[in-house]
Amino acid sequence: MAEGEKERGGATRLAEKARGVVGAVLGRVTANTLGAQSAKTFVKNAAIGDMYELEAAKLALANAHSPRVKDVAQQMIDDHTTLTHQLRSAMRMNETGDQTSLPTEVDERRKQMLDELRRVPDDEFDKLYLDQQVLAHKETVDLMTGYAARGDNPQLRSVAASGAPLVTRHLRHMERLREELAA
Amino acid sequence: MAFNPLEEQGIPLHKQLRSWSELNSTPYDTEAVHPHTRCRVIAMNGIEIEAIMNSHNAARRIADVGVRQMLADVRRVEQQQQKAVNWLIPAGESVLANTIGYEQVAVDLTAWVARNEPDPYLRQVYEFGLLEDYDHLYRYANLMDLMGERRKAEAVTGDLTEILPGRPTIFHHRHPHDDLRRPMTVQAAHFQSILNGLTVLSAEQQTMNFYMNVGNRPEDPLARALYLEIAQVEEEHVTHYESILDPSMSWMTNLAIHEYNECWNYWSCMQSEPDPRIKAVWELHLGMELEHLRLACEAMKEVEGVDPEEVFPDKGVSAPLVFEPNKQYVREVIARTVQWTGYDSEFVSVDDLPEGHRFFEHQRTVNRDGTPSEQVIDRHRTEFGSEYRFSTEGDHPVESLGISGTTEQSGYPNPSAR
Repeated sequence: MAEGEKERGGATRLAEKARGVVGAVLGRVTANTLGAQSAKTFVKNAAIGDMYELEAAKLALANAHSPRVKDVAQQMIDDHTTLTHQLRSAMRMNETGDQTSLPTEVDERRKQMLDELRRVPDDEFDKLYLDQQVLAHKETVDLMTGYAARGDNPQLRSVAASGAPLVTRHLRHMERLREELAA
Repeated sequence: MAFNPLEEQGIPLHKQLRSWSELNSTPYDTEAVHPHTRCRVIAMNGIEIEAIMNSHNAARRIADVGVRQMLADVRRVEQQQQKAVNWLIPAGESVLANTIGYEQVAVDLTAWVARNEPDPYLRQVYEFGLLEDYDHLYRYANLMDLMGERRKAEAVTGDLTEILPGRPTIFHHRHPHDDLRRPMTVQAAHFQSILNGLTVLSAEQQTMNFYMNVGNRPEDPLARALYLEIAQVEEEHVTHYESILDPSMSWMTNLAIHEYNECWNYWSCMQSEPDPRIKAVWELHLGMELEHLRLACEAMKEVEGVDPEEVFPDKGVSAPLVFEPNKQYVREVIARTVQWTGYDSEFVSVDDLPEGHRFFEHQRTVNRDGTPSEQVIDRHRTEFGSEYRFSTEGDHPVESLGISGTTEQSGYPNPSAR
């Protein structure tokens, strides 16, 4: 095998491996697994979800090829910052007074996802980012709609109810963008 | 001192309609009125207008003709009440003097609410708005001097409220997203929080309406400019306060809460009103609102299947809202939070905003041709040799604002530079 072919093959194999890892990591976690009714679990997963989105979007602003991917990444920064602030404000209210504090870093699963974004070859970035975004937003939609319907704390149900339509629109947007860019 | 409006007997609705002469209240004497009586008149006008607009909004969204009839019946009386209250303000009280009254309401009403707010986040919401209305009072007071009014602002406010710079008005101009806070829930909030939110919103909304409509009446261009600048801030305040109300409330529950709030407010006015003639207005209107509350609770039960016991505290409310001096409290809030701005639902120091935050672009845009609230102080200094202030408690708690009410000396970050 010629050197160039080895290199291209190596890069391709890395990309395939990354996608495979991502696929395994991103096996969709349902709202039940995320704890649709428990305030403690909702807070943890909502906060981690937002932190992941903000970090992934920063990577996308730096590394994405498509200007449309960069635009959507900026939207994710704006919107997930708003959601982060809404959750933070809720946690300072008496209505949620007995809940645990907010996590300060993402979990192992999201760490792996971010690592994959950092390591993926340049020409694979946009696709990987959008793949991650579709799956991550499906999880977040499940989390928010599930807790809004069945959660055990009224203030946090209100947080979920205010965020659910927004993240649902994010999901639709990501799906549409992924489809259009793949075409 | 407890008050449970659900246990009181109101005036039957068919006996509530009054004649024109009954509604055409004899106004108070603007020179002799107790400043807090003026505040109560201004505040209750706002309460009635919110009741009316809420009823109109409900009527536009509810198809049930029986409910629409009930809303129309009650609303006709609420409109009469609004006239009887607002017509207490005399023609001889200039628009500017009345404006000073409006801002005194904003300061002392919001300060009482903040001090009596059980929720720590919601308390921050009130403290945030408080410092901005406090500054508006100071800017309008300087304008009042410049417009050649026959009296100074302190003659309107009495010695009950200091007139000093708060958070400078120039820095109130935020991106719209940064006025949206986190709502409470009717289900879990302390009931006082619900009354507090609706009361302050009503007052701020009427302030916004007032400036929107009278701001174009002065001839002086700077006066017109100051009113429009501050009117835009009041839009921010209405956005800010309405965003803490529960958006998931159903129409009839919302209506019942509005009526309960009117009862609480009229009862509160009665407790501290020194003018017997005006106290009689509060008492009469309370009698009417008790019946409006009964009708709203009936509708809430029949239409939505919600029992009043599910919404309202079984022992009623214990504390009346009181207009009283809040000087030390306001000073403490200034010292602690004057540098805050909004970032979505949170409050942060301007210094902690990230580079390139939308606040700075917004500031550059609206302030690019100069800022009326700064210009009014500059002009007062030019024409009178100094700013107008009224202080009874010593030096300003923030050194730079003690020196100057314009921000070149303030040490605040220059928005144009970021």
